[in-house]
Amino acid sequence: MVAKRTMTLNLTDPEMQALEDLATRKDITKTAILRQALRLYQMIDARVERGEKLLFENEATKEKAELMFL
Amino acid sequence: MTVARSVIYLEEVATGAAVEAELRDAIEEAQLADWQTKWQPALLAVLQELIRKGVSPASWPQSWHWDWRRKAAGVQGLLAFRGFAVVAQGETQGLAQVNLTGVAREQSQAGKPLVYLDYVEVAPWNRPELGSRPRLRGIGTALVAAAAMLSDDEGFKGRIGLHSLPQADDFYRRRCGMSDLGPDAAYQGLRYFEMTPTQARAFLAEEDGR
Repeated sequence: MVAKRTMTLNLTDPEMQALEDLATRKDITKTAILRQALRLYQMIDARVERGEKLLFENEATKEKAELMFL
Repeated sequence: MTVARSVIYLEEVATGAAVEAELRDAIEEAQLADWQTKWQPALLAVLQELIRKGVSPASWPQSWHWDWRRKAAGVQGLLAFRGFAVVAQGETQGLAQVNLTGVAREQSQAGKPLVYLDYVEVAPWNRPELGSRPRLRGIGTALVAAAAMLSDDEGFKGRIGLHSLPQADDFYRRRCGMSDLGPDAAYQGLRYFEMTPTQARAFLAEEDGR
């Protein structure tokens, strides 16, 4: 297993609520949610840096929306 | 990054003897060199024989065009991807690349995170479907078990998913006990398989008992 380091995270109430809701819905710990978020953020950032776009498509209507990633 | 190595045991098909092997949680240059200098020539020899026999490309080993060096370079430094390698008898015997941002589709697990196996490949000399008797057995199972254990370590409770090449459908269905969710039109019609937490516990317990 990869060694892990500990950090303190300061969140507002709504942020903590969102984190707790996601952890419950996804059936994983709050730490796991944040680690997933970091993986996704890093992956998307790398692809946007390469000149790619992030698009969402509605499966039913095939409507596409581009997510601006700053 | 330090590569974790654990001892596993494979079966030497000719003798039935247990062979000590190493499961590594990364694909390093030595593995890519083995793929290039050992797997590729072995696979080329198989393809030449298939061409000589007039076998159509549709029946060739379906991973023949995979380029592991390119796959590894494409995910270099990205936290979402991990690699596994099985090394035995001084050679790389199997490789896998997984993505930790997969999402479950199976009804009871839908929307929950899983480890998605992007690619799993066993060295050509260990693949019975390539014509000759395999040297070692148990490599594919070890790689699937590694993915399920990673999923458990990540808090995903052993959930894994993959699209199977048709030659491996039975392996994932019967040997690994995964749920077959049918052909995926969005993925070249390949069948999509998932392992639920319950299936993962059963699979890992069986592997542990071997």
